[in-house]
Amino acid sequence: MRMSKRLSVKTKGILTVLFVILMALLIAIADRKASDYFVLILNLIAINIIFAVSLNLINGMTGIFSLGHAGFIAIGAYTSVLLTLPIEQKEISYLIKPLIYPFNRIELPFLPAILIAGLVSAGFGYLVAAPSLRLIGDYLAIATLGLGETIRVIANNAWSITNGALGLKGIPAYTNLYWSWGWALITVVVIASLVNSTYGRALKAIREDPIAAKAMGINVFSHQVMSFVIGSFFAGVGGALWAHLITTIDPKSFTFVRTFEILIMVVLGGLGSISGSIIGAAIYTVGLEFLRVLESPFKIWFINYPGVPGMRMVVLSVLLIVLMLFWQRGIMGRNELSWDSIVSAFAKLRRGGKA
Amino acid sequence: MRKFFLVVLMVSAALMFAAEVTEVRIGAGWEMTGPIAGFGQMSWDGVKLAMKLRPTVKIGGKDIPVNVILLDNKGDKAEAANVARRLIDMEKVVAILGPCTSSCALAAGAIAEQKQVPLVTNTATNPLVTQNRRFIFRACFVDTLQGKLLAKFAWEELKSRKVAIFVDVAQDYVVGLANYFKQAFAKFGGKFFEVYYNTGDQDFSAQLTYALAQNPDTIFMPGYYAEIALISKQARELGFAGNLLAGDGADAPELVQIGGEFVEGLCYTTYFHQDADLSPRTKPFVEAYVKEYNRRPDAFGALAFDAYNLVLDAIERAQSLDPVAIRDALAATKDFAGVAGMISFPSDSGDPIKPAVIIQIKNGKPELKTVVRP
Repeated sequence: MRMSKRLSVKTKGILTVLFVILMALLIAIADRKASDYFVLILNLIAINIIFAVSLNLINGMTGIFSLGHAGFIAIGAYTSVLLTLPIEQKEISYLIKPLIYPFNRIELPFLPAILIAGLVSAGFGYLVAAPSLRLIGDYLAIATLGLGETIRVIANNAWSITNGALGLKGIPAYTNLYWSWGWALITVVVIASLVNSTYGRALKAIREDPIAAKAMGINVFSHQVMSFVIGSFFAGVGGALWAHLITTIDPKSFTFVRTFEILIMVVLGGLGSISGSIIGAAIYTVGLEFLRVLESPFKIWFINYPGVPGMRMVVLSVLLIVLMLFWQRGIMGRNELSWDSIVSAFAKLRRGGKA
Repeated sequence: MRKFFLVVLMVSAALMFAAEVTEVRIGAGWEMTGPIAGFGQMSWDGVKLAMKLRPTVKIGGKDIPVNVILLDNKGDKAEAANVARRLIDMEKVVAILGPCTSSCALAAGAIAEQKQVPLVTNTATNPLVTQNRRFIFRACFVDTLQGKLLAKFAWEELKSRKVAIFVDVAQDYVVGLANYFKQAFAKFGGKFFEVYYNTGDQDFSAQLTYALAQNPDTIFMPGYYAEIALISKQARELGFAGNLLAGDGADAPELVQIGGEFVEGLCYTTYFHQDADLSPRTKPFVEAYVKEYNRRPDAFGALAFDAYNLVLDAIERAQSLDPVAIRDALAATKDFAGVAGMISFPSDSGDPIKPAVIIQIKNGKPELKTVVRP
């Protein structure tokens, strides 16, 4: 009986296509009708999904504990901005040292800039992965953390490329809901199909036990490098989208605190679950904004609540602790949200209702 | 039971939203939490005092109460953008105060400019913040002006002719300020050379040996207080007897705690000092501040106080709550008596031309030396 309840591949495919079309419709409506504030939050959710899912590929699927994500985001952001920033803006922004050739002559459209940003970030990912993946465990975490900080320090000091800590502004606001959610969809589809392929099973084998995986004939090192490079590519893409959303960047935006924010989303959703990362990114992004009401003064009945700055962080932290106490492996654990699980959840509800 | 509950809920909801009165809504986005929460909190204290002293604004002969809506940006760029969007879209504010760091002011400024709502930052000194922006203003002086005023003070008052500049290459603000000082000092005909260090360095003997061999009469340190104290100490120990000069990064009590007797005589610029007679409003402000908070006013609070009053003045002159009209009135501000100095905006610029306060350490206390006017 139970087996027959599983959906056929065809129905699942149709359901997925319908779901994507529904999401696209909702986004199109939001793009036209919603307030700019709401649109900004939606954009940030999509970009955080890209960050979380790509970090999850490295940390959750492959078991490489990397803390250098902010560095790759910075590389993506700076690369894309150097390519898209209008030439007049480049001339007035570089107050201390002029921008070096050839960047001072280039002005590219958004799509090539994003792709180049992702590729440059992936290239750096390869350069970093090759030596540092010879380390394991805590040592690797420290090496990648140091690397992320190194990239930030270089950005702080390379005045003729990044404009140092003055930062850059006047970046064209190309990022809209279609760009950010489009790339979020691409990220999820690419990483999900990778994880479900032979490569993905190899990555999971490496996560569980590198030595056993090696004994099974898996080239551990090259698989780890591949996962790291793909993760870096999407971090770079996300960085490019972020820079063109906020329209100003400086090295302070890419400290290790950003890496930890993404790590919180990943762990909250469940290390090793793509749908978990999506849920985690959405909860973290919306939660902080939604809880803002706790910081402004308001009146309930006759009690005046004065509004305490920082209250939303306290409440969110408590919520996260409670969540982690009840779901010790994150909201989704290592499971994925699939049509089968949704249908069986509904079936359970109906059975419960009848009884 | 359920009906009773519903009635209570509806009545309470009605009460919650009933208190709707016409008011002037001004937004504030500051760094209230995070690593630099102190700056935001000092700024907010200044605004709270300003609201207490001037709770209404006169439009068309009627006094309308002012409501400042404070939102926290955590010192994070994306949050600063969220805050600006929320203030404009949901809170419907007519002007925004803050943020106090340049990084956040750039992000919030981009949105305020796009939505055509004036934004007045109290202490963001990066020149890019107001560059090519019509709706962004600041209550402090810009780093370029600070560099000029420091060069003027060094040349005219200290009679410096050869300056050793100690540059912290890890800090944008430091490299920027050193550059603006160099440009202005070269115009006077002074000589200078640079030595470099990084934030957190403890031992400066190599740089000092090199610098002192060239016989400078002044050491200029546009960095932060910890390194300034150490450089001063080690320079004096190596027998340097000339002038010590620093920028507003020196303005912290830790300077004397670390430097002790060795920072005696050091001069630095700042925006505000309670003894400086910067405008007729300075003295009443200091008295009110001490009475309210029982401590001496700081530059962040004083400049936030000025930012609040700048906006209210502009609203009264515009006689309107239209953000664009307020912006035009702000841009036309002339000889506004702020507690941290008179403010006038030059045409097409949000950077006020205003004096800098020079402080000298005397007997371990920061005392007013002079006020340098541009």
